[in-house]
Amino acid sequence: MSRGANIKAVNLTKKFGDLLVLDNMNFEVEAGELLCVVGPTGCGKTTFLNSLTNLYQITSGQILIDDEPVDLKKHNVSYIFQENSTMPWLTVEENIRFGLDIKKVAEKEKKERVEEFMEIVGLTPYRKFFPRQLSASMLQRVSIARAFATKPNLLLMDEPYAQLDIELRYKLEDELIKLWEATGTTVMFITHNIEEAVYLGRKILILTNKPTTVKTFLDNPLPRPRDIASEEFVKLRNQVTDLIKWW
Amino acid sequence: MTKKLFKDRDDFWRLICGIIAILGFLLIWHFGTNGTRLGEIMPGPIVILKSFFEAFTQKTAGYTIFGHTFWSLSRVLVGYSVACVLGISLGLLMGRYRLAEAIFRPFYEMIRPIPPIAWISLAILWFGLGETMAYFIIFLSAFNNITINVFMGTKSINQELVGCAKMLGANEAQVFRTVVIPATIPYIFAGMQIGISSSWAAVVAAEMVRSSKGLGFLIVSGMDINNISQIFVGILAIGIVGFLLATIMRGVEGKLCQWNVRGK
Repeated sequence: MSRGANIKAVNLTKKFGDLLVLDNMNFEVEAGELLCVVGPTGCGKTTFLNSLTNLYQITSGQILIDDEPVDLKKHNVSYIFQENSTMPWLTVEENIRFGLDIKKVAEKEKKERVEEFMEIVGLTPYRKFFPRQLSASMLQRVSIARAFATKPNLLLMDEPYAQLDIELRYKLEDELIKLWEATGTTVMFITHNIEEAVYLGRKILILTNKPTTVKTFLDNPLPRPRDIASEEFVKLRNQVTDLIKWW
Repeated sequence: MTKKLFKDRDDFWRLICGIIAILGFLLIWHFGTNGTRLGEIMPGPIVILKSFFEAFTQKTAGYTIFGHTFWSLSRVLVGYSVACVLGISLGLLMGRYRLAEAIFRPFYEMIRPIPPIAWISLAILWFGLGETMAYFIIFLSAFNNITINVFMGTKSINQELVGCAKMLGANEAQVFRTVVIPATIPYIFAGMQIGISSSWAAVVAAEMVRSSKGLGFLIVSGMDINNISQIFVGILAIGIVGFLLATIMRGVEGKLCQWNVRGK
């Protein structure tokens, strides 16, 4: 089981030229948390995630992973993008292996992890298939398996299910919960879908519109498996909706 | 039977259509040159094919058709190989690194529009009338096509894939090796295919200037002695070798790029 990382943002600010996108954000995510980040469309959620990992250089402030400045070569971080990011020239099993090759994991362990995560996401029969031969949901499952196979301490997901139909989304949401429970990885899941945030998150971080600031953190104590039609679920969903609407 | 020889029915019918088209063309050629005014300046296909097969054993300027083809091919392979190495390297560097693009692209853009043939006079003055002149012209014609394809391919890489590798902790060398090069392979092959065609065009031009062997020489000497069949034999050999090279290249691409629609 991988250990989740603790994330701390101190006065996180990001500007593109004169445009202030992230404004003095302060928050902390505990190790092993499944945090959903919601906010109005176009509020800068992706910028927020990219800034956390230095994919965008932040203008000022600090991001700490386990109390150290973020360093992708040192900290074990994985990222699942909204768009398909599987390598088209690699087969399913080679794609899942990709991160392990980069991290120079020992050959025996590599093989075991590829088999394990390929099995978990149900792609073992498709191991020799190339991405162009797979459906959208299968591609996203490859990305999920690749991300989890590296046993990251922090997994960042940028609206990974936004382009999938509702049935596949539910299926992959359940798969994510299963993997998170099994690995103990800290997960930050960005979504504009409030129902998805309430269904997945143990905590919900609500962002304001641009410039993006932290509006509030909500605890989500609903037991799993969660019933989206239950009174408590609907109540929490409405509460999040109101927080996004009335800012 | 067709199942064993061909991947599917489409392949089989494509071959049949190809054969019918070639036979049709030969028939039109035959009747168009048989007893007509066109036949006075152009031999029919039977005469050409007869000369072509005779060239397997009969020597022209000391070589059979195989000898002339070998000389042209060897010139092409030298110039083309150097063009592949330098063109792929420069295309990757300019496409990936802004500094390399800033330094090399202005020179490249100046050289690119100049037809290789325009360099022949300079090449003769620099390298004399020997083999080096031919290598140089062949190199230039392939280099331009390969470099531009690889450069455009490197520029068009999906940056999310690069970001994905970086997120997993890849350093620049790993990004280059595991993402940039594999993503560019279809463009490298496209450039190499165009490059081999232009190399063939260039070798003929270089051999026409001054040479005592090679398919270009065969064509020019045919013109000098008014032997139209010999000219056609040279042209036919160029076509066949060009077709074989393109087929080999497509086969290699198909193996290396199974993931790609082009390589399928």
